Amino acid sequence: MKLLAQTNRYYVLLAGVLFAVGGGVLYLSLNWALRNEVDEQLLGQQEALTSTRASAPASPPKADSLRVSRTPQPGGLHEAAYYDEAEQTMVPYRELSFPVVRGDTRYWVTLRKSQLETEDLLLVVLSVMLAVLAGLLLSLMALNRWLARRLWAPFQRTLAALRAYGLHGREALALPATAIDEFTELNQALTQMSARLAADYQRLKDFTENAAHETQTPLAIMQAQLEQLMQDDALRPKSAALVGELYGATRRLSRLHQALTLLSNIENEQFAQAVPVRLDQVVADKVRQLHERATARSLTFDVAVTGVPALTLHPGLADSLVSNLLQNAVKHGLPGGIIQVTLGPDALVVANAGLEVTGDPARFFERFRKHNAASDSPGLGLSIVQQICRYYGFALSYEFSPAGSRHTLRVGFSPTQDLA
Amino acid sequence: MKILLVEDEPGLRAVILEALRTSGYTVELAKTYAQAHEKIKLYQYDCVVVDLTLPDGNGLDLVSTLKTDASAAGVLIISARGALDDRLTGLELGADDYLVKPFHLSELNARLKAIIRRRQFQGQQQLVFRDLVAWPDDSRVFVHGQPLTLTKKEYDLLLYLLANPNRVLTKEAIAEHLWGDDADASDSFDYVYTHLKNLRKKLQEHGAGDYIQTIYGLGYRLRAE
Repeated sequence: MKLLAQTNRYYVLLAGVLFAVGGGVLYLSLNWALRNEVDEQLLGQQEALTSTRASAPASPPKADSLRVSRTPQPGGLHEAAYYDEAEQTMVPYRELSFPVVRGDTRYWVTLRKSQLETEDLLLVVLSVMLAVLAGLLLSLMALNRWLARRLWAPFQRTLAALRAYGLHGREALALPATAIDEFTELNQALTQMSARLAADYQRLKDFTENAAHETQTPLAIMQAQLEQLMQDDALRPKSAALVGELYGATRRLSRLHQALTLLSNIENEQFAQAVPVRLDQVVADKVRQLHERATARSLTFDVAVTGVPALTLHPGLADSLVSNLLQNAVKHGLPGGIIQVTLGPDALVVANAGLEVTGDPARFFERFRKHNAASDSPGLGLSIVQQICRYYGFALSYEFSPAGSRHTLRVGFSPTQDLA
Repeated sequence: MKILLVEDEPGLRAVILEALRTSGYTVELAKTYAQAHEKIKLYQYDCVVVDLTLPDGNGLDLVSTLKTDASAAGVLIISARGALDDRLTGLELGADDYLVKPFHLSELNARLKAIIRRRQFQGQQQLVFRDLVAWPDDSRVFVHGQPLTLTKKEYDLLLYLLANPNRVLTKEAIAEHLWGDDADASDSFDYVYTHLKNLRKKLQEHGAGDYIQTIYGLGYRLRAE
């Protein structure tokens, strides 16, 4: 719920309670005051009647009616309601009965005053009051809404800037100072944070890059010397096997290293050079290259080209993208299955039958994520695919359909939301 | 064959030097850009093997110097900078080939041979090994004068072995030579094995000797005698 709606809800709640209580109190007190007034009038008349009985009534009768009867009436002030013929409704009255002694006869005088007007008055006063209060509440809400839109504008701008913020832009946020101290502080804090983040990210990237570069030379020396050691005829078979293993391990290390370097290079956007790429040719090349491996795993490629996208890519990255997608399918495809490769004007789709994989699909794109932990491959293939897609703004999505247990990886060329 | 090796890393320099000398090349060394520059200005080489990251300069400049001088020397770049752009720049400047460190010495050997063959014999050079004759550029092999029919991979494999006689070729080197970057699969060694088996069989069917020796735990070697 929006902050504004949330605050408004409390406002309305509080105002409602206050208005209800206020209205009640107002009603009661007005009622009390008005009845008091009527009572006073009645009592005043009683006094006039009892004291000035000898002379003619000086003041005009205050009461609506004055009844005199000989039957005793309950004394004092009380409420009564009588049917009014003209209005055809019960009309509330205030009555005052008192005995008057004239000579030796005791009369009961009942003064009666209609409370109809009193009620009307009460109603008018109350409704005016309520109307004013409601107007006040409504205008407060409107003001609030307007103020919120105006005062929160810097916040909305900050939010938009944060949403658009990514470390790949490599720049700290530049949030302006605003007229509101709180937001200015927020912006300052965010700017500082993003500057720190950007610096940390840069440091990390530099570190990765340097580490990659620095490890490559010793690796090259190791590998070359091991290879040279193998040429030694004096090597005993047992040691030869050890050297062979070592050599294999250095190769794996250097492959891992190459993949990581590629990833870091893409991240560092070192692939500016782009040329128009015929993706159908890249796909055909890669399918041909992988044909042997696919056949060995009893996999068949089914390539359908429905259109060639007009893409401008770095040739090496285009190669890597297609190659990694296809290799992944060959690696994980169930033997006997068909790898469907569909290239259309707006997407490249690779689908293969495979075992169902548990877990969050997004995790398949994580680095060093392997289906089979014992596998020799470092598990960077899909990370590279993802990184290339991110770099070019392609939409990468993964889907698993239980029917035929097909894994589908789709690279959409039109820049949309990145699902991966 | 005279080779200039430009490499600043002592450990690597020594081992490449040894491997090239064993393969029968005359090798001269340059440890810095300045040394290399002086040598290519003064002497004629069949091929220059140049590292790109030198302490006092960029190896790419050496490549352009060689090209400006219209040198007959072939150029093979070896670099730790695997970035695809460097590779492209190098080849655009006129380098004949590019190897990313770390590389297999046997691969270096094969590429060097190919460069020299292309440059000096315009590719029209036959490779003779015992009773085998191969014409690398038109994919023909003869055993005792009889043509031998090989698949593309078998042929590539045979040429790789021929480029490295008496050298132990590791399974990794062969797999990467045949499949390039796609060799990154645990099953690629099985294909190496299968292709080698088929190649051996075909050679033996045509009466060639069993030159291909399996070295346990390491790989294979083409025996010269």
